[in-house]
Amino acid sequence: MAKSDDGIRILQGLLVFGNVVIGMCGIALTAECIFFVSNPHGLYPLLEATENDDIYAAAWIGIFVGFALFALSILGIVAVIKSNRTLLLVYIILMLITYAFEMASSITAATQRDFLTPNLFLKQMLERYNKSEADNNNDKWMTEGVTKTWDKLMLQNQCCGVQGASDWQEYTSAFRRTHNDADYPWPRNCCVMNAQGSPINLDGCKLGVPGYYNSNGCYDAISGPMNTHAWGVAWFGFAILCWTFFVLLGTMFYWSRVEY
Amino acid sequence: MCSRWVVLAFYCLGQMCAGQSLKPQIAAPELATNNPTLTTVALEKPFCVFDSSLYPNKSYVIYLYAMKESASAISSLVTTTNSKPLNSTFQQTSGGKLGPYKAAVFNVPNCASPPKFTDVGDVNKVSDVLKQYLFRVGDDGTCLYDPNFLAVCNPPLTPDTTYRFKYVLVDSTEGIMKDQTLWSDPIKTRRAKLPLKIDTWPGRRSGGMIVITSILSVLVFLLLAGLLASVSSAVMGSEASSAETKHMSQTVQQSELRPQLSSE
Repeated sequence: MAKSDDGIRILQGLLVFGNVVIGMCGIALTAECIFFVSNPHGLYPLLEATENDDIYAAAWIGIFVGFALFALSILGIVAVIKSNRTLLLVYIILMLITYAFEMASSITAATQRDFLTPNLFLKQMLERYNKSEADNNNDKWMTEGVTKTWDKLMLQNQCCGVQGASDWQEYTSAFRRTHNDADYPWPRNCCVMNAQGSPINLDGCKLGVPGYYNSNGCYDAISGPMNTHAWGVAWFGFAILCWTFFVLLGTMFYWSRVEY
Repeated sequence: MCSRWVVLAFYCLGQMCAGQSLKPQIAAPELATNNPTLTTVALEKPFCVFDSSLYPNKSYVIYLYAMKESASAISSLVTTTNSKPLNSTFQQTSGGKLGPYKAAVFNVPNCASPPKFTDVGDVNKVSDVLKQYLFRVGDDGTCLYDPNFLAVCNPPLTPDTTYRFKYVLVDSTEGIMKDQTLWSDPIKTRRAKLPLKIDTWPGRRSGGMIVITSILSVLVFLLLAGLLASVSSAVMGSEASSAETKHMSQTVQQSELRPQLSSE
């Protein structure tokens, strides 16, 4: 009897420890997902215009799952210490539901990240940047978002186009329809700007003289934050789920051994 | 960078002093990287090309003629019968389709002091250097539609078309052509592709995504299996214990009955 008592005590201790870790990870997950949802790099309009903003949906689910994990971990600690069979069963069922949601969030973030390729942003930039006639209000909203985001992106990161300034010369675009090639081989924001926000030399920028225009592409500035976002949600969620798997298995075993 | 441009300058000067067998050249690609564009071509001005034909007390100007390569079958003459330079415009030749048109008039570039490429780095001097060194054909997008425009119109060229150019030295007082270069090598303007043709298919799935999906699916299956196992073991355990208690209560009853019988 004493041996099984010790065993039960050890199992209880492990389960309490496991739940403490789950609780802390839940708070961390909530905080991380709130950070991503708050759109710190201002890239959300680009995703919205691709009509594929599922990595944001994954972050939203992550916020609520993190909070649920925290609450359930407290319930779990109470249930394990009191050795109450009903409470333990409630804990297991609710934890399984939360597990399913977090799994959905993690897989969504990992899967949808694969769709964010340079060609996707190139096509979107060419078709939407400075598009003059919108089909409907939704189209107008997305066009304005894309235009403002690209203007800000080109100014802040001193870059032009997705893979380089030559993107504007290689493809026709909505921009090209309203701005002729002689005056605007590429948008003005591709030129090197002075402190007042105007190009330091317009002729140099139009001719492509090195030092007067930005020839490098903006793809790194876009994909960096998006990768951090998607992988942060996906892998951290995956790590939490691996840990929770063992805690849940232990709890199920404990529940089957506890007597009424 | 600077030494490379100085060497380039010396090379260009050496080339140009060879005589009128020269052709207009496209501007140095290290300087003008965006050349030719969809509708413009930047050409080097003819430095030291006409120096052997210049007399000291006369004034000269240089005319630049442009034509589509297909027009050379129709007419490639830039002068009339009495050596006067042609006054054709962009509209008259349908943009160079029917023959050469006059795209620009400018002063003879100074051979003795050409622009220094090292000045390109200086923001204040770069405009002058560019203006002295090259000329951009197709620069003016508005002169075609401006009825008050009286100077030489230099409208944008057509994309994906081959053009040829020629410089002509003209005596400004007599109005007679004194010298001319050959027609340049064919220079083609860029062609633009449609964005519709861009393929946005992501291709292969990334390795991380496959790992996450497969491992999580396996874990969920194991959890559900574990739940089933523990529930079934709990149910069976309670059945066995209820059968035990039933058996135990029966034996207790029987053992209670026997002492009663034996006492009686």
